[in-house]
Amino acid sequence: MPTSSNTPVLPLEGHYQPGAFFDEMFEAPGLPRAHYRVLAEQLTALSVDEFEQRRHAVDVSFLNQGIGFTVYGEEEGLERIFPFDLIPRVIPQDEWAHIERGLIQRVGALNMFLEDVYHGQQILRDGRIPAELVFGATHFRREMIGVDPPNGVYAHVAGVDIVRDGRGEYLVLEDNLRSPSGASYMLENRAAMKREFAPLFARYGVLGIDQYPQELLAALRQVAPAAAAVPTVVLLTPGVHNSAYFEHSFLARHMGIELVEGGDLLCHDDVVYMRTTQGLQRVDVIYRRVDDEFLDPLIFRKDSMLGAPGLLNAYRAGNVTLANAPGTGVADDKAVYRYVPDMIRYYLSEEPILGNVPTYLGADEADRRYMLGHLDELVVKTVNGSGGYGMLIGPVSSKSERELFRSQIEAEPREFVAQPTIALSRMPIFLEELRPAHVDLRPFVLSSRITSVVPGGLTRAALREGSLVVNSSQGGGSKDTWVLRS
Amino acid sequence: MLSRVAESLYWTGRCIERAEDTSRLLHVNFHGLLDAEQADSGRAWRELVLLIGLDDVYREHFDEYTAQTVTEFMLWHPANPDAVTACVARARENARGVREQLSIEMWEHLNRLHLLVSRTRPTAVLASPHEFFVRIREGSHAFQGVMKATLPRGEAYEFLELGTHLERADATARLLAIKVPGLTEAEPTSVTHERLARLLKSCGAFEAFRKQESDELRPAQVVAYLLLERRLPRAVCFSLELALAAIRAISGPALRPEMAIGRVFSELAFTELVTLDASTELLLGRVIRGLGDAADEIAAAYFTTRVIPPGPYAQQMQQQQ
Repeated sequence: MPTSSNTPVLPLEGHYQPGAFFDEMFEAPGLPRAHYRVLAEQLTALSVDEFEQRRHAVDVSFLNQGIGFTVYGEEEGLERIFPFDLIPRVIPQDEWAHIERGLIQRVGALNMFLEDVYHGQQILRDGRIPAELVFGATHFRREMIGVDPPNGVYAHVAGVDIVRDGRGEYLVLEDNLRSPSGASYMLENRAAMKREFAPLFARYGVLGIDQYPQELLAALRQVAPAAAAVPTVVLLTPGVHNSAYFEHSFLARHMGIELVEGGDLLCHDDVVYMRTTQGLQRVDVIYRRVDDEFLDPLIFRKDSMLGAPGLLNAYRAGNVTLANAPGTGVADDKAVYRYVPDMIRYYLSEEPILGNVPTYLGADEADRRYMLGHLDELVVKTVNGSGGYGMLIGPVSSKSERELFRSQIEAEPREFVAQPTIALSRMPIFLEELRPAHVDLRPFVLSSRITSVVPGGLTRAALREGSLVVNSSQGGGSKDTWVLRS
Repeated sequence: MLSRVAESLYWTGRCIERAEDTSRLLHVNFHGLLDAEQADSGRAWRELVLLIGLDDVYREHFDEYTAQTVTEFMLWHPANPDAVTACVARARENARGVREQLSIEMWEHLNRLHLLVSRTRPTAVLASPHEFFVRIREGSHAFQGVMKATLPRGEAYEFLELGTHLERADATARLLAIKVPGLTEAEPTSVTHERLARLLKSCGAFEAFRKQESDELRPAQVVAYLLLERRLPRAVCFSLELALAAIRAISGPALRPEMAIGRVFSELAFTELVTLDASTELLLGRVIRGLGDAADEIAAAYFTTRVIPPGPYAQQMQQQQ
């Protein structure tokens, strides 16, 4: 039933039904969890009209600022604003402390795994992870063997996707260790919420996140080659047509560093320079948002114009730092993912703080048999897919879709993994009325000399009713994420 | 500053200015010609097409020169690379690639201008052209004003300034080069008066001129005012002086761009213009060529890094480009 303009966003009686899923905001119908009570009061006091006005103000400001992303596969270069929902996700301090510890532990182990894989490969010798799984991973880079990145850090920036299951337990769904996006949306969402709901911030003690660009820059400076006294840090973007270009520009602006494209760089005698109006200037650290394959046409794809010839040799000579390091993708491979809890036990002798979602590997015969027998229950993903492209969601799939995946899995088992359909937690979004939507959370983990997490992240919500896919390219929207001080 | 970034800023400045100049000309023609004779009207519309040097392209698509056809061509026709919509889109595309160099306010104004021109339907413009032209002009002014108010003075600012003022000098010089031959013919005073008034208005200088000279409008005085005046924002000499200041702030070791702009500026700064004759047209020709040379020198000095050390990687880079 569409609500009339004067009705409150959250009526005391009625519409919003948390349903059978774990609801972030409500313990039971009409009963908000303790840390959502102030917000619920506010939504009860606010009329739909006032709410829509604020939403419109945010939309206009996003549109005028050109905050958006490019959607592939539709019209060429189509720009869209990132749909934003005004109801924030609130995380109490004790839950956050748990998440934070878990992330630091996990990303620490992943960095140790990367160092191991590209050096002694002890974990493979000890048989804790099947070697063929690692060497067969698309993003394994043999060019990285024996290379020593400063401080032993490979994944300087990680965007770890976290979900909550039906019991409300936080689980890691994906480790994004290549060049995860979303930090700029996290910051813009916060700025928009501060404009529209200033009083709520005063009532909630929300931890700040605005320091993220500064912390990122500090982390990048710390991993500069030792010889650079005052390191020059740049951000390497594929260019204005890349889907995440807004973010590249945003971060460069907020860090106060040059945003360079491949053509701006020049490598000579294993040293990287950028072309400026005053001549060539040496570059020490490259926060690169260009994929491995495109970094250096002398080593990787010959047709790439996005990188710079000679870049990888300059990196191997230790004259420039690439962040993230090439080859980090072997650790966020969807099949290797299954072994991350084992990595934590192996390298840190600790039990994982954050659990994994159970994962079946196409490469494993028993797993594969289970997978093919339960296609209608499982979520099947391609190992190298990202952005929600190329997924089968069993419970809502058609028979022909399942048969297509069956033949693909049988043809190339290594390319597929499957997971049980997680009853992702939900929380209210406002679309004409308050309704539940599935959400996940992407916090950003920075590693240099130390590993740290900015208190917050990007909460993505599946705006299409019932949809489990939260990726922005698939109609997902986002919310501000509030981590409380106490 | 990165060479690519400098080039994008320079073109952002030029393209916004070009969009404003073109819409200003259209605006003046629309209003000035409502009470003009048919022949004079057709001629004035044709001049706009000649002004941007695209008469051949125009003729491939249109047979006559009317308010509607020329407006369509100058505002959004896909065959016209200098159409207002194309200029604004190019300015935004250039700025989008160097967003981190602009202030947030500048980007917002440019984005708004882009939304305005890309979302307004041609029929809506032809129905009420006045409002549309005013909004484009305001959008350009807002961008340039916000730039002055928010952008720290530095290389980014100076390259934007350089592009803006070179474009403006070029636009006014070209306009004069087209108009001057028509002003030397012996025409009835009323017709000459109309043309001179339109010419002044095209440069937003009608009232300013009136304040200075209350006599009847005389061609030589009007042309001298738009070409040589050092206090009028759209005069060639004024714009060149600002372009010269920008290039001096940038120049560093490269002297040729400054010399190229300085040569044109000096000639105008020390010229007296009493009557219009063949030498006026020659002078305008030299100014336009001089501005072209300056643009070439700027590109050579700042947008292409010629100092490439020898070596295998560098050679490969060069071959790629």
